[in-house]
Amino acid sequence: MSQLTFETINTTVLNTLSRPGKIYWCTIALLFAGVIFGASCWIYQIFVGVGVAGMNTPVHWGTYLINFVFWVGIAHSGTLISAILFLFRAGWRNPIARAAETMTVFAVCIAGLFPFIHLGRVWLVYYMLPIPNQRTLWPNFQSPLIFDVIAISTYLTVSSLFWYTGLIPDLAIIRDRSNGVKKKIFKVLSLGWSGKTGQWLNYTRAYMLFAGLATPLVISVHSVVSWDFALSVTPGWHTTIFAPYFVAGAIHSGLAMVLTLSIPLRKIFKYESLITMNVLENIAKTIVFTGIIVGFSYGTEVFISWYSQNIIEMETFRWRAFGHYAPEYWIMVICNTIIPLLFLLKKCRTHVIWLFVISIFVNIGMWFERFVIIVGSVAHDFIPNAWGHYRPTWVEGGIMVGAFCLFFFLFLLFVKHLPSVSMTEMKEMIHKTE
Amino acid sequence: MDRRTFIKTAGLGGISIAYGCQSNNDRDIFSLVTAPEDFVTGQAKWYASTCMECPAGCGIIAKNREGRVIKLEGNPSHPINRGRLCIRGQAALQSVYDPDRMMTPQLKTNDTFKPISFNQAFDILKQKLQTSSEKGENQIKMLTGINSAPLSTLFSNVLKDHNSSPAAMYEPFSHDSLKAAHNTLFSKSILPSFKMENADFLLSFGADFIETWLSPVEYIGKFKSMHAAKNGKKGMFIHAGPYMSLTAANADKFIPVTAGKEYIVALGIIHQILKNKTIFHLPETFLQELKNIVAGYDKTTIQKNIGVEAEDQTLLTQTLLASDRPLVLGSAATTHADSSFALDMAVTLINLILDKDLSLYDFKKRHQVENVMTAKETADFFKTTANDGTDLFLFYNTNPLFTFPNHEYLTQIFNRDDIFKIGFSNFMDETSKEADLVFPVQLPLETWDCYESNTTCISTLQPAMGKLSQAPSIGDVFLKLTNSNQEFDTYYQYMADYLYANLEEKNKLNFIQVIQKGGLFPFTKRSQVLKPDFFKASIDKASLRALKQTLGTMIPYEKKELKFLAVPSIRLYDGRGANKSWLNEIPDPISSIAWETMLMVNPSTLEEYGFKHGDILTIEAGNRSIAAPVYAYNGVVTGLIVMQVGQGHNGYGRYAEGFGTSPITLLSGNPISDITSSDFLSYLITPTSIKKTGSLKALPRTDGSRSQLKRKIALSAIDDHPEKSHSGGSHSDPGKGEQHGEGLTMNSFPLTLPTQEGYDKKRDIYPPHEHDEYRWGMIVDLDRCVGCSACVAACYAENNIGVVGKTQVTKGREMAWLRIERYQDQNIEEKLIFLPMMCQHCDAAPCESVCPVYAPHHSEEGLNNQVYNRCIGTRFCAQNCPYKVRRFNWFDWDRPKPLNLQLNPEVSARSKGVMEKCSFCVQRIKQAHNKAKNENRKIKDNEVMPACVQTCPANALVFGNFLDKNAAINTLARGPRAYQVLGYLNTKPAVIYLKKMVQKL
Repeated sequence: MSQLTFETINTTVLNTLSRPGKIYWCTIALLFAGVIFGASCWIYQIFVGVGVAGMNTPVHWGTYLINFVFWVGIAHSGTLISAILFLFRAGWRNPIARAAETMTVFAVCIAGLFPFIHLGRVWLVYYMLPIPNQRTLWPNFQSPLIFDVIAISTYLTVSSLFWYTGLIPDLAIIRDRSNGVKKKIFKVLSLGWSGKTGQWLNYTRAYMLFAGLATPLVISVHSVVSWDFALSVTPGWHTTIFAPYFVAGAIHSGLAMVLTLSIPLRKIFKYESLITMNVLENIAKTIVFTGIIVGFSYGTEVFISWYSQNIIEMETFRWRAFGHYAPEYWIMVICNTIIPLLFLLKKCRTHVIWLFVISIFVNIGMWFERFVIIVGSVAHDFIPNAWGHYRPTWVEGGIMVGAFCLFFFLFLLFVKHLPSVSMTEMKEMIHKTE
Repeated sequence: MDRRTFIKTAGLGGISIAYGCQSNNDRDIFSLVTAPEDFVTGQAKWYASTCMECPAGCGIIAKNREGRVIKLEGNPSHPINRGRLCIRGQAALQSVYDPDRMMTPQLKTNDTFKPISFNQAFDILKQKLQTSSEKGENQIKMLTGINSAPLSTLFSNVLKDHNSSPAAMYEPFSHDSLKAAHNTLFSKSILPSFKMENADFLLSFGADFIETWLSPVEYIGKFKSMHAAKNGKKGMFIHAGPYMSLTAANADKFIPVTAGKEYIVALGIIHQILKNKTIFHLPETFLQELKNIVAGYDKTTIQKNIGVEAEDQTLLTQTLLASDRPLVLGSAATTHADSSFALDMAVTLINLILDKDLSLYDFKKRHQVENVMTAKETADFFKTTANDGTDLFLFYNTNPLFTFPNHEYLTQIFNRDDIFKIGFSNFMDETSKEADLVFPVQLPLETWDCYESNTTCISTLQPAMGKLSQAPSIGDVFLKLTNSNQEFDTYYQYMADYLYANLEEKNKLNFIQVIQKGGLFPFTKRSQVLKPDFFKASIDKASLRALKQTLGTMIPYEKKELKFLAVPSIRLYDGRGANKSWLNEIPDPISSIAWETMLMVNPSTLEEYGFKHGDILTIEAGNRSIAAPVYAYNGVVTGLIVMQVGQGHNGYGRYAEGFGTSPITLLSGNPISDITSSDFLSYLITPTSIKKTGSLKALPRTDGSRSQLKRKIALSAIDDHPEKSHSGGSHSDPGKGEQHGEGLTMNSFPLTLPTQEGYDKKRDIYPPHEHDEYRWGMIVDLDRCVGCSACVAACYAENNIGVVGKTQVTKGREMAWLRIERYQDQNIEEKLIFLPMMCQHCDAAPCESVCPVYAPHHSEEGLNNQVYNRCIGTRFCAQNCPYKVRRFNWFDWDRPKPLNLQLNPEVSARSKGVMEKCSFCVQRIKQAHNKAKNENRKIKDNEVMPACVQTCPANALVFGNFLDKNAAINTLARGPRAYQVLGYLNTKPAVIYLKKMVQKL
């Protein structure tokens, strides 16, 4: 990193904010079309009824909540990288911290959309908020869904503030190097940053504070999400392992998503000097670690169901592996625990293509993990007479595509309009290595 | 614009605006502006009437709210159904509101129907009758379904006035073989009722009295009074037949017998009885002749040729001989040509041999269906009509083109252009479609009439609601056509005159009381009374000649071929229920399949022929073919395809047309079912070819698994007879002793009542709910439940439950609040057990704690209320419900007009996006509260009856208050058979199940 200077960092990063070309706008337009398509699907669903999705009795929860958990999970490793690794002084996280934190904010926003999409009567969603009313009707604070509302909104608030705080010095740099309307906008956005020592002092404190606040949230928010399931009575959901299992899974999927995002980013914006192979290798190593935790959890679930000798639990896990959803189960196992083991080979974890492909596999695997848990448990629970299967419909597919489009749409807008690598932190890193 | 133009425009404009502003009168028509004297808005009126969905003639009371019938219930004072109704009876009111009901007559011109007015239609009818009668004798033929006596007389009078013979009465299930057997042995073609309740052993060779046989509601009640656990004992019932029908599934033992060969088993029993027992009460020559007839039917030959184990045969004979009051029943309503006659002969002979007085036959009380034509007579009627110079063909309340299997001559009638065909029908069904004029008339719920359900009871019908269409009643139409009899203006007077004639006390008050009560019972028609032992005179050797002859013509042991058998359906009867959406939506209790007709085949036969469950088979017989999906069911004897009658319409209406397949189509192409070769129709044929032509991925099934995987859901207790106790010992009788368990596991847990006493600090963190005065709960006696699904239909009617249709049922979105779960017995896999599953109203309800907005709400009376207005549709409650009884409104369900008029105003109709479920009929509880409060008392035990409890023909459901120490449910819940489904989850369900008592033979 010795070749990096403050100026090279500034120019590398700020060069990415140059006027985008046709391909960029075409992609943006395409993604926006995807977003519109997803939105239309949702509007169609609101007018016709949730029945346009594939859910039924007994599988009342389908891809909407699978996507919810998936996106919350994605969000978590962003915070892990930007906050936890920051507190641990893991310097290698600096080049990707901004991208990861942005990913967090957008992923939480998208995750937050899915419970709305899921609702039967979304127009009455405010019933879930503790709004004073003349009937003194309050939400049920016993319900894990209310935990969710609180947890997700807290998480969104903290991670947005954390993200924005980190952006301020960088915004000031852009302000200083632009003119016209752009300058005015960035002037407002950078909140009068002038780089005085006092400001730096406050900045570092605030950044540290938010990192400190976000760190427990990584654990708590996904634990709360897991309680949507673990606090029920359904076999396959009702287990104590769920909180750590979900957190590990979330980080696993999030790290994979960071790889998926940063590899093209690095390539397109020529960030090789900032996001070095070393950084990617470190992520890959962490993926091996989380993959093993996740694999261990799968094993534990099966073991505990056998150890309990509860015939219902045993049947649930036998059916997961060999029943109707066996393909999904084995996709989950292979993609999440077997394929990431390839990262044990140095060649795999230092080769961009390998890294990218495996990260995609992990993303797929983690999506199916949520599918197996959410659908696979209720499809085959206590009353055999009520068993049934679920298959998503095109509306759900449309909304899912729309969600991915929205994510990449926002992310693409971000990389072209805001610094996708934290210049401040890169400079700090140079300082420290010196 | 100049002044003149302005004035012109303003003037014209003003006029047109003023014209446009006239009030739209049509929109402001209110029903009941001048209401009947006793009418109070918001209060239901009940009118006693009679169900005409099958010939049984059960009494009903119709609930009228604001001028519309919204619910039917059994008439409690009616001797046949004692306040109960079957699934078809519950759905009967849907025909009134059928969206496909014709509102005006339709005249066929150039092969298309055109609506005409009722006056025009009447004029055509009158003129046609006139011209036809002028042409000569017997120019007019009339075919009707089963009718009341006065209506039949009226038809006959009109036809007589027009030089023609009386109307022919046709019913598809006319029990010909039983009638013929009685005719042969007793010299009377009668259908006496059976005193099943007095029997201690019942053996049926196919008679499916729980589904359609003679009078199902009556026989379910009688069956349950001999076959329900009382003081740990119950009667015995064995069913021997070709497939495990619902009736057979309720037997203690089902013996599969090759279809059409049941008579051999019955004759074998006679053979054994005569060998083991000396009979004194029958003439010696008679017995000798009988011995000769049954000589060849020994156990080993039968076992060798038709596969019924010698052991089983001995068991049947031994049990028959050991029983005090055995009763043997014969064939099902769908006959198998001569073999059914042989069977019914053999069965009647067994009864005669075992009981000299035939004390379990009620000759005084004979079923009305005995008066309809036999299939042979029907076929002859069609033949004469098709071949003689008939000019005018009338039909009323019948659909022979759909229901009569061999209709070569029938089609000829409809193909002949010189015959003018008039159908009195409300629906464009198969037969109406072929008519020249379709003349809608009022339906039974809208008319006056009286129907003799059996020879000891006249049930009355009265209009239970105002008219929905301008259609006149058929009686009024025919009254206007009589030449001779002009003393009555309306059919009401005509029918009242008939009823008056039968009244003991002939005064108006008595008449009104009879109408209010719903009929005249008990009642005896002097002319028809038979002495209990009248039959003895006719028993001699000669009466066996017919049996001998029949046996001579049949080949007893044929080579094995794949056969096809059509059977009646508990839901659709002969097909008349097919356009009632509830009957299609509620799954068949045996297969759990809705909206579809399945080919039920034994899995081993499927394997033998290389077919799979879900394959679509095309079956050909003669020149006809049908295609339907296969359902693997091990209750079917090997080498047989069983298919229910009722679906596969190509007319009738939106719920009937295009759903399922009709086996009758196939039968029509088969020479064997030709009525000329036998006196009886054959619903059993050998198809000429069976091919696989496709396969279905998803069937409209409502069940997941037939096995309960030892999860302690539908439990049975094996009868602890000392010498038999070892047989059930191996499985450590599930459930028994459980309720004394103290633990927290699946293997040991207590019965936790949903009251304070169900809570225990060791098991519960939260304190119990406080209930003041009431804690509602239900008892479901699995020993009494026969799985007939009447409760499900009652629930649909009472609670405005949406009908989702075939596609959505296939997706698993049926809305039934109450379902009949059909499981294999945990102890004996081949036995079925039926478990009504509805919201358990748990005291520690998993659904209540997970809802973020308190939509599921625990009421002060222990009800688990669902507050629809509060529900936002997270569906977490349904996910967390271990019993999976919550139903989500995936869409706004379609309720085509005028079906919306049936909606119960006391139950809110749910919109899309809302969760719903069984409410224990909270509206009925509230009503009871109001009444009790007015009378300043508490609600009494049995005062509240949810719709399911009210209709249960088997009396399997009891509702009550757990806080009432004397309530029936409290005693039952503490009985030895009480348990809770999935009790180990400690949700403290308020529905307590009583184990089924299984008797090992």
